[in-house]
Amino acid sequence: MATRIGVDIGGTFTDLVYYDDETGETVEAKVPTVPHAPEEGVVHAVRDHVPRHVVERAAFFLHGTTVGLNALLERRGATVGLLATEGFRDVLEIRRGDRAEMYNLFWRQPEPLVPRFRRLGVPERVMATGEVHRPLDEAAARAAIAQLLATEVDSVAVCLMNAYANPVHELRLEALLREAGFEGGISLSHRISGEFREYERTSTTVIDAFVRGRMSNYLQRLDARLRELGFGGTTLITRSGSGSMTFAEAEDRPFETIMSGPVGGAHGASEFAKVLGIDALITADVGGTSFDTALVLNGEPQVLYEGSIDGMPVQTPWVDVRSIGAGGGSLAHVDRGGLMRVGPQSAGAVPGPAAYGKGGTEPALTDAAAHLGMLGPGELASGITLDLAAAEGALGRVAQRLGQDVETVATGVLRIATAAMAGAMREVTVEQGLDPRSMVLLPFGGAGPLMAVLLAEELGMRRIIVPPYAGNFSAWGLLGADMVQSAARTLVTVLDEAGLASANGLLGELFGTLGQRSARPDATVASARLDLRYRGQEHSLTLDVPLDGLRIEAAPETLRASFAEEYRKTFGGVLDAAVEIVAVRATYTVHLPPREMKVSASKASDAAARSVEAHSFAHGRRMPFLVLPRTSIARPVDGPAIVTEATSTLYVDAGWRVAPGAHGELLLEKVKG
Amino acid sequence: MTMQDTVLHRAGISRTKATDAVDPITTEVVRHALNSAANQMKRALVRTAFSPVIYEVLDFAVALYDRDVRLLAQAPSLPMFMGTLNFCVIEAVKGIGGEARLNEGDIIIYNWPYGTGSHPQDLAVVMPAFHDGQLVGYAAIKGHWLDIAGKDPYCTDTIDVFQEGTIYPGVKIVSRGELNDEIYRIILANSRVPKMIAGDLNAEIVGVRTGVRALLEVVERFGPEVFGRAVEEMFDHGERVVRDYFRRIPDGRYIGHGVMDGNGVEPGEVPFQVAVEVRGDGVRLDFSGVPGQQAGPINCPVPSTISTSRVAISMLAGMGEAPNEGHFRAVEVVTRPGTMFHPLPPAPCFLYGWPALQAIEVIYQAISTAAPDLVPAMSGGCICSLVHWGTREATGEPWADGAPHPTGQGAWRGGDGGTMLHISESATRFSPVEVWESRNPWLVERMELAQDSCGPGEWRGGLGIDFDFRMLEDTYVTTSVERTKNPPWGLEGGQSARANDALILRQDGTVESRPKHTRIAVRKGDVLRLSTGGGGGFGDPGGRSPEAVRRDLANGYISEEFARRHHPQAFD
Repeated sequence: MATRIGVDIGGTFTDLVYYDDETGETVEAKVPTVPHAPEEGVVHAVRDHVPRHVVERAAFFLHGTTVGLNALLERRGATVGLLATEGFRDVLEIRRGDRAEMYNLFWRQPEPLVPRFRRLGVPERVMATGEVHRPLDEAAARAAIAQLLATEVDSVAVCLMNAYANPVHELRLEALLREAGFEGGISLSHRISGEFREYERTSTTVIDAFVRGRMSNYLQRLDARLRELGFGGTTLITRSGSGSMTFAEAEDRPFETIMSGPVGGAHGASEFAKVLGIDALITADVGGTSFDTALVLNGEPQVLYEGSIDGMPVQTPWVDVRSIGAGGGSLAHVDRGGLMRVGPQSAGAVPGPAAYGKGGTEPALTDAAAHLGMLGPGELASGITLDLAAAEGALGRVAQRLGQDVETVATGVLRIATAAMAGAMREVTVEQGLDPRSMVLLPFGGAGPLMAVLLAEELGMRRIIVPPYAGNFSAWGLLGADMVQSAARTLVTVLDEAGLASANGLLGELFGTLGQRSARPDATVASARLDLRYRGQEHSLTLDVPLDGLRIEAAPETLRASFAEEYRKTFGGVLDAAVEIVAVRATYTVHLPPREMKVSASKASDAAARSVEAHSFAHGRRMPFLVLPRTSIARPVDGPAIVTEATSTLYVDAGWRVAPGAHGELLLEKVKG
Repeated sequence: MTMQDTVLHRAGISRTKATDAVDPITTEVVRHALNSAANQMKRALVRTAFSPVIYEVLDFAVALYDRDVRLLAQAPSLPMFMGTLNFCVIEAVKGIGGEARLNEGDIIIYNWPYGTGSHPQDLAVVMPAFHDGQLVGYAAIKGHWLDIAGKDPYCTDTIDVFQEGTIYPGVKIVSRGELNDEIYRIILANSRVPKMIAGDLNAEIVGVRTGVRALLEVVERFGPEVFGRAVEEMFDHGERVVRDYFRRIPDGRYIGHGVMDGNGVEPGEVPFQVAVEVRGDGVRLDFSGVPGQQAGPINCPVPSTISTSRVAISMLAGMGEAPNEGHFRAVEVVTRPGTMFHPLPPAPCFLYGWPALQAIEVIYQAISTAAPDLVPAMSGGCICSLVHWGTREATGEPWADGAPHPTGQGAWRGGDGGTMLHISESATRFSPVEVWESRNPWLVERMELAQDSCGPGEWRGGLGIDFDFRMLEDTYVTTSVERTKNPPWGLEGGQSARANDALILRQDGTVESRPKHTRIAVRKGDVLRLSTGGGGGFGDPGGRSPEAVRRDLANGYISEEFARRHHPQAFD
C-alpha cells in the first residue's frame, strides 16, 4: 500500500485525486489550469487540497498532462529550427507523397511544423551501413548554425540521413550548437527513434523539439515546487505507450509523454472495465480543449507502434487514443463560407467560456450548454457561478452573423460537437468492424457526462456508465499507472542458437542500462520482448518471451512456434521462411500496490427536489428537468434530469434512466425509442 | 485497319434487385464494416509483403465485390488498379471455366492485359467467398510484381504484348485450400527475382484469405438478407452523390487535349483528345476520337480506360469519399476498337498507365472550359517512374526496385498546389530514401524542392523535386517519365510550370537526356537525375497577394528574379 497523488492537467482544468493508504480514502479536487505556468495549477491543487502530512508521506506523485499535445493540436509550441543532411531539408514537406484524403482532389498537405527558412542542410553523409561517406564539414555546419540561430529558434531538431545506423554527426552538431552558445533544447533523431524512414523519424524529432522546451522546463519547475511542499517521493509522468516514467527520464524523452494526458483515462477505464467485467467499452473523455476516445477490450487498452497526431507521424509505441480539438471550451465561429464551425480553437482556462465571467466574449460549447440549461441552475460545484447573460450575448453575436436565433445556434453547437466526437469514436470501433451499439460508453472529463447521452444517441448506444470521480477520472486512472522503463535496440539476426545468444547478450546490456538510470525497488519485474519477422519481410510482430532471471528462457524452436502461432492469429496463415530477430526490447515494471475502490454510499436527500427548464434533444424543446445531487441517487430515476457533482454535470435526457451501481458508478440505460 | 464502330460501356452496374430500404444507421455500419474488412486485407498484405513496391510504395489495390461483381469496398490504395478489379474478377473466373468451377478455398491468378487493363506485371489474385455453400462475393488484389520475365524488368519499347511478360490466363494457384505446386514452380521460374515474387505471392494469398474471412464476418453479423439490402442502399447513395454533382455543370460537349511525348518506338509526339458530354445528371466520356493503336506500348486496354473514367469522375464528384459501385453509375464511356484507348491484342501496352493517367487531367481540362472553378490546373502530369535492377557485386544476387515520384500539383481557385504523387496514385507513397539505401546500391545525394519550378498564378502550382541518385554499383534503369516536352498547363491566366526530365550524368562529364528509355546502363559512380515537374498556376500572377509572394521568397520557393518577373506588385 502506498499513498499517492495523481494530478492530470487539461487545457482548462487541473484535476487532482489522492489515495491515502492510512485511511483508505480517495479524495478529488479540481482547480483552474494556469496556462502560462501549468505547474502553478498543480501546486495550487496540492497545496489547497492535500493535507501536508499526506504530501509528506506520499510515495508517488503521478502526473498526466496535455501540455505537449495541446501545443501540437493548436500549433502553439516552440519555434523550431531543423538541421538536416544537405540536399534533404525538405523531407518534412515532401513527406511520402501521399494524400491523407485520397479522393479529395483539393487536399492540402498540413503546414510543416518548421517552415522552410528554418530548415537548413549541412554537408555530411552517413551510409545505411553506418559508414561515414562524407565527414561533417564543420565550417559549413557552424555557418548553418549561425544562420539558424539568427532566425530566433527556441529549440533545434537534428535529423541526418541514416543517423539510426551511426549518430556521430548528430552528436557533433549537438556539440557545435552548444559551442555556438545555444541554450535551448536539442532533439537528436537517433535518440528519439532507432528506426529508419527519414520522414517519420524527422516528424517525430521535430515534434519532440516542438514540445521539448515546454515540457523540460515545466517538469523541472514542477519537481522543485513539489519538493517545496514537502513531497519526498518519486515523481512520475505517464508515457504515451502506457505505464509511467520518472520526470528525469521524461525530460530526456519528452516526446514519449505527448499522449500522457489521455493515457491516464485509458488506464482508469481499463482498471474499471476489469472490476465491472465489461468486455468492450468506449471512452469519451471531454475536457475543456480536447476530446479523447479509446477502445478498451477485455480490460486492456489498444497499443499501436506508430501513431499520428494531426497528420504527423510519430515513431513510438502508444496507447491508441484518438484526439480531436473539441471540448467544453471549443469556440463556435462562422467560417468564410458562412458555415458555423466548432473548435479547434478553445477558450482555455483564460478567459474561459463567456459564462465563466472572466472576460470571454466568444461562445464556447459550455456557453451553449449553459444557455440550454444543461448545466443546471447556474452554480457549478467548482465554485463558478454561470453568467448566463454573458453566454447569451456571445451566442447572440454568432446568431446574428448566421441570421439564426440564439436557441438554434446553441443546439447547433452541441449537435456539431457531438457529430465530430462521434466520428472519432466510430474510427476506434466501427471502422475496425466493431459495432458500438453493443458496447458500453464510459464518459469522463469535466464535460464527458454532459455529452454522454448525446454521443450515445448519435452512435445508437444504449448503456452508459459514469464512473466515480468522472470529472477527475484521468487523475484517478493515473494512480494505477505502473512504473515502466524500457529500452530497445535493433539486432537483425536469424533466430537460432547463435542468434538467441546474441539477443541474450544485448538483453543483459539493456537491463544494465536501465539499472543505471535509477535504483530498482525490490518489487521490480523484468520482462522482455522480441520483434520477429520472416526473413525478407519488412514488418515484424512483437512477441512476449519468457525470462529466467534476465535471460530468455525458451529454445529457438519454441520461439519460432510461438511466432508462427501469433502470425497465424494476426494474418491467418504462416510462411515457409526462416524467422529473424529484428529488435530486442527490455522492460522493467514496478507494479504499484493495488487500491480499493471505496466510495461513500449514496443516500436519499431530504432536500426538496429542484427543477430547471432545460432543452431536451429528444423532444426538441425546453421542458422541466429534475436537478439532483449525485449523492442523492439511491434508486433508479427517470430522465429528464440533471445530476450535479463536484467536478462534472450529467445531462440525462428524456427516455433515459439513471441508477446507482455497486462501485460508486452511475448506470444509464435507454428506456425509450 | 478500317475504322470500327464505337462501343458504349456503362461504368457502373445498376441495381440487380428491388429491395426494401434498410435504416441509414445499419447501412452506415455495414459500409464501415466493409471498408474495415478491406482495410484488414490491406494491412495483412502490406505487413507480409517482401518487396518495397508493396510494403512501402503500396503499388496495389485491394477490394471486395459482391456475387454480381459490384464494388463493395476497397482500402485506400491505387485508384487506377481499383477501377479495373471488377474486370479482373470476371475474367479470372472465366479463365478457370466459369463460376461452376469455383470451389471454396480456391485462389486464382490472372494477368492477361486485355482482361486486367494493365501490363502483365500487374497481376490479379482473386478468391471467391462462400457462405453456407453459396457464392456471396470475392476478395481481389491486384499488385505490381517486380519481374515477370518480360524482355526487360520494365519496358518502354515493346512491340507486342508477348514481350512484356509471362501470361497467367486465369489459373488456380490454390485449389480447395491446397497450393498448386506445379503452377507455383512455373511462376518462380519466370522471374528474375524469384524470392521476392514468392514472398509477394504469399502475401497476396494471405491478403485475399483475410479479405474473404472479413467479408464473411460482415455477412454473418448482419445476415445475408439485411446485408444485401444495406448494400443496395449504399450503392444508391453513391449514385445520388455523383448525379447531384453533375447537375452543377451546364449540359454540353467539352473537349480536352493531351499529348504523349512519344509512343516509345517511333519518333513524334502523340496528341489525343477526350470529349466530356454532360447531359442532365449523367456524364459520357468519349474516347472515340483518339489516334489508332500505337506501334509502341502506350496503348491503354479498355478496363483501364474505364478505370480512368471512374477515377476522374469519383475524385471530382464523390464528395471525397471512397467510391463504390453506385458512384460509377452516372458514367458512360465510349471507345473505338483498334485505337489507343481500346487496343486489340497483341498490341503492346506496357505503358498503358501513362495515357490513362494523363487522360484524367485531360478530362478536367475539358470540364474547365465549362466550369473552371471546379477543377485544378495540370500537375506534373506523370508518376515519373524509375525501375532499377542489377546483380549485387558482393553476393551475385539479383535485385530490383522501382517507384513513382511526386510532382507539383496544379493550383485551383482559392488554393496553391502542393507536392505529391499524381492523383491517379493518390494513396501511394514513395519509398523513404533510408529504406532504398538499406536495400539498393545507391546513395541519394539530393531530394529537394526545386526553386521556381511552380507555375505562377494568383494561386501558384506546387513545386517539383530534384532527385540525384548516385550508383554505387553498375545498375540498369528503365525510366518512364512523360510530359517532358509539353509543360503542365495553367488555367484562367495562370501559367505553365517546369516540365519533367530525367538525365544521366556520366562520370566523364557527359549528360544524356533519358526520360523514356529501357535498360539504361548506369555505371558505378554515374548519377541519375530526376527533375519532376511543377503544377500549373491558376489566375493572373499579377493578382497574387504581395504577402504570399514575399512568403514564397523568404522560404526560397521562388527566386527574386522569378518574383520580379511574375509578381511586380510585390515590389511596389
